[in-house]
This record gives sequence, structure tokens and C-alpha cells, in this order.
Amino acid sequence: METGLLVQMLLGSLLGLSVYLPLRCGQLSLATPGFYAIGGTVAALLSTRVPALGISDATYPLTSVMLEMLLAALLTGVLALGLGRVVLRLRGIYLAIATIALVEILRVVTLNLEFTGGALGIFGIPQPFSGPEGYAALTFVVLAVVCWLCDRLEKTRPGRAMAAIRDDELAAASQGINTADTKLMAFVLSALVAGVTGVVAAHFLNSWNAKLGNFDASITTLAFVVFGGSRTWLGPVFGGLLLTALPELLRPVGDLRLIVFGAVILVGPLFFPQGLITPELFQTLRRRMGRSAAPSPQGGRP
Amino acid sequence: MSLLQVQDVGVRFGGLQALQAIDLAVQEGEIFGLLGPNGAGKTTLFNVVSGLTAASSGSVRWRGAAIDGLSSHRIARLGIARTFQNLRLFNSLSCLENVLVGMHQHGRQPPLAALLQMPTFRRRESQLRQQALELLSLFGLESAAHQNAANLSYGDRRRLEMARALASRPQLLLLDEPAAGMNPSEKDDLKNLIRRVRDEFALTVLIIEHHVPLMLGLCDRLAVLNFGQRIALGNPDQVRRDPAVIEAYLGGTP
Ligand SMILES: Nc1ncnc2c1ncn2[C@@H]1O[C@H](COP(=O)(O)OP(=O)(O)OP(=O)(O)O)[C@@H](O)[C@H]1O
Ligand SMILES: [Mg+2]
Repeated sequence: METGLLVQMLLGSLLGLSVYLPLRCGQLSLATPGFYAIGGTVAALLSTRVPALGISDATYPLTSVMLEMLLAALLTGVLALGLGRVVLRLRGIYLAIATIALVEILRVVTLNLEFTGGALGIFGIPQPFSGPEGYAALTFVVLAVVCWLCDRLEKTRPGRAMAAIRDDELAAASQGINTADTKLMAFVLSALVAGVTGVVAAHFLNSWNAKLGNFDASITTLAFVVFGGSRTWLGPVFGGLLLTALPELLRPVGDLRLIVFGAVILVGPLFFPQGLITPELFQTLRRRMGRSAAPSPQGGRP
Repeated sequence: MSLLQVQDVGVRFGGLQALQAIDLAVQEGEIFGLLGPNGAGKTTLFNVVSGLTAASSGSVRWRGAAIDGLSSHRIARLGIARTFQNLRLFNSLSCLENVLVGMHQHGRQPPLAALLQMPTFRRRESQLRQQALELLSLFGLESAAHQNAANLSYGDRRRLEMARALASRPQLLLLDEPAAGMNPSEKDDLKNLIRRVRDEFALTVLIIEHHVPLMLGLCDRLAVLNFGQRIALGNPDQVRRDPAVIEAYLGGTP
């Protein structure tokens, strides 16, 4: 497999996780591409316009990339904090529509601003690595950190509160859970992940323009989670990897590939309404493995 | 001072007066019953107390301080827990996790300790799990701890809701028809369990239940609602004999 594709797959997983975080507490937010675009724009602007960061160095310093990530996280975090307070009052499909509108507004604004390069975007973003291997390593590290955070979140009190809100928001509030704050936290985390991903993507793609955060991207990233599953962080990681790779792997099929791709996205949820990866899947696997190794102690449960 | 005081509370849904000028005072430690025919407004009163429905008039006082207008999570944190007539469990979570969510207000841990799974975090977490398991076993649900709440029988789901409500260590427990769908022997067990829980957890209980003999046997005092109005108030003997109650609710069987 091409290393460049691997980087894209890892970036896909990160965007899947960004959609997953609000969804884990029942909030269908499609704002991920918007925050992704902001992250990318921050990286593109800083690295091309601020000489002190090292654009003239032979290879762009990794510490500068880190600094961009930090600033992108700060900006997207603050934005999400403000926007989330307003849009998270909406529920279900209304939240989805409002966040799509946010992404569109952002796209149109970026398209018409002078300093973001207008429709053409920003070119010649400096490279911290000489080849895709470096990007693969960096993206992998970022993905690993985000996965670790998600795993810790799921296994602790805030994660339980998120799941409770997803199942029944009113009952969750009756257990003393501040549902508004919990949803806001998930929304902000989602924005941080998308923003940081945008920074990596901007360097990797070498150029950045408004098209990268459009409605199509909203739907594609949602498909990662619907396909992979929204109950554990492994779902969107798997969905992001697979659905990013699929169009490329299907290239030999020619024009049919888009139809096959569409069919996969359609058929997946039909047969696996919870997504491919669910906690039950792990339970089943564990039980199977337990049974082959030693008789299961709690085997005979009806 | 009463633990909970409902003062002149009215609730209007459009043209329907669901509650009208309700006055109640629940004393610490008692088991207080709410009786009344379908649609009398009992659940609506629970919703007002727990902050899910805003009263159109009147006020609710908790240890003397007004709590109307507070959001439901704030009210829960004051020590008022409830169960729901139409069961509202977290269906994708296990029984144990349902109870752990009920412990939300007591489970706060420093984020860094939680992230790094430091020993203090692990100790506290296993302590919470232990407490959750003890609660489950109090309700006979220990063997279902790792089963999804959705897979339980109806009676078990009712018991799990009680366990979850108790997990927040409330001072006041609101039970909305906890015996619905249970068979007679289960109902009997439930009665004893509610008494036991009240004593062990030093609770005050406000309970809605249609099963009149169970209520008369269980409650220290009762109020009877009909068409949104309080038509009777008193101990089981007084309520049993009240002509308005016999007329409206008991259908002539004193
Ligand atoms: N959110 C609401 N909007 C409109 N009407 C409502 C609402 N909630 C309750 N009602 C109405 O208010 C009245 C009282 O309802 P409530 O649920 O409090 O009765 P209840 O005494 O609990 O009855 P049951 O024994 O059947 O549970 C009913 O006529 C009901 O239809
Ligand atoms: Mg009711």
C-alpha cells in the first residue's frame, strides 16, 4: 500500500473520531469539516506568512507544527465553546442542519477573504518531512493520543455521563448530570480533534483551500462513524480507515467504484445498524476466546 | 421545618388544569403516599418537584428554600432522586453502569488521576463499583450486573430504577408506581424493601401507587388527588374513611 494513502486513512480516522465524540452523547453535529478547515487554514497561514516559524529552513521545524497545532486547538476550542452554547440547544436533525449551515458559512467566508487566498487557497505550505513516511508517523502519533484520550473518557465518569445522555437525556439530568455542560465538552473535544487534524493535513497536502471543509466532507465523515459504529472509539477509527481506503482500492474497477462505494455505505448500516464495531462484538469475541481456552465461568446465562 | 413543602402549586397545560392549588408538607423520615385515579395529576406533581415541569403558580420548598425554577440536575444534586412511571433506564448500558451513572455526583475525580489511572483513581473507582454492586444485590440484581438494562424483565427494570435512584444517596426518594407490572408476591416484597431502604438509608419516601391495600399498609400519611385537586390528606385510617375518597377513588370499599 502507498504510504500517502495510509496517511489519508489515518487522517480519516481522526475526522471520524471528531464526529464520534458528540455522537457518543447523542448529538448529531456535522461541524467537523468546519473546524478541520479552520485548523488547516491556521497552519497554512502561520507557516507561509510567519517567517520566524522557519519557512526558509531546509525542512520546516516540527516544533513549529506543534505550535500551529496548539494555536489551532486554542482557536477551534474557543470557537466551539461559544458556538456550542448556542447550537447545542437544538436537538437531533435540527442540530445537524445548524452545524451544516455553520460549515457552509465558514466555507463562503474563507472563499471571499483576501488573506485566506480566496478560491485558490494557500499554496506552498512548507514540509516538515521529506516523504510521506514522516507524515504517517506524525499522524499515527496524533491518532494514538486521541484514541487513548477517547478510551480513558469512555471508561470514566464523563464517558458514562455521555452515554447516559445519549440513551435518555431527561433521565440523565435527573441523575444530577449537567447535560448542557457534558454536551458542550464533547463538542469542544470534537472541534479540537478536527482542528489539530487540519494542521497535519495542511502540511501533508501542501496547499489548502475552502473546498476542504464543505458539505460533502460533513457527510463523508459522518459515514465513517455510521459505518464503523458510534458506541466505542474503535468504530470511527475502523470506519475512517476503511472508507478512506475503499475508493482507492476500488480504482481498478474504474467508474463503477463510486457505485460500489455508495453500496458499501448503504449496505453496512442495513446489516449492522449499530455499525461494524460494537461493545457486544467484543463481548462475543471474548466469550468465544474464553470458551476455547477454558470453560467460561458464567457460560450458562439464559 | 418540613423537608419538602409544596405550596399552592398549580400546573396548566393549555386548557387543562393538571394541578390546582396543591398544598403538601412532607416530613423528614416519613413514607408519604400519593393516591388518585388516572390523570389525577400525580406524576405531574413529581415532575414539578424534580424540576421537569415548571409550575404555573405556587412554589416548592426544600428545607425551607424555594427550589422552583432550578434545572433538574440541580434539584437532583440537592438530594432528590426519582424513578419514572414509564421506565427511563439507560438501555445500552449494563445494570452496573446504570447504577454508576446514578452515582454521578459522588464520583468526581481529578481529571489527571483519571487519565493516568493513578492508584487513588483506581481505588476510588473500585470502591464505587463495590457500592454499586451492593445496591444491585439489595434489589436482587447482582447476577444481572453486566447484563444490558434493556434485557431485564419488567419487574427487574423497576427494581433497577430504584437502585439507580438510591445510588445518588438521596434524602428524598420519589417513586412513581414502583409496583406496576409486578405480581402480588413481588408487590409484597417491594413493600418490605421500601421500608427497609427507608430505614437503612435514612430516607424520606414520596410514593405514587395505584394498589390501595399496599399503600394503606405502607404509608405513614397519604394525600389523595382527583382532577388536579387534593381531596384528602391524612394517615391511612383517616384516608380510608374519608367520604370524598370513597366517592372519588375507592368506589365505596372502605
Ligand atoms: N406534558 C403534558 N402536556 C399536556 N398534558 C399533560 C402533560 N403531562 C400530563 N398531562 C395531562 O395532565 C393530566 C395529569 O397527568 P398525570 O400524568 O400527572 O396523571 P397521573 O395522576 O400520574 O395519572 P396516571 O395514574 O395515569 O399515571 C392528564 O390529563 C395528562 O394527560
Ligand atoms: Mg402517573
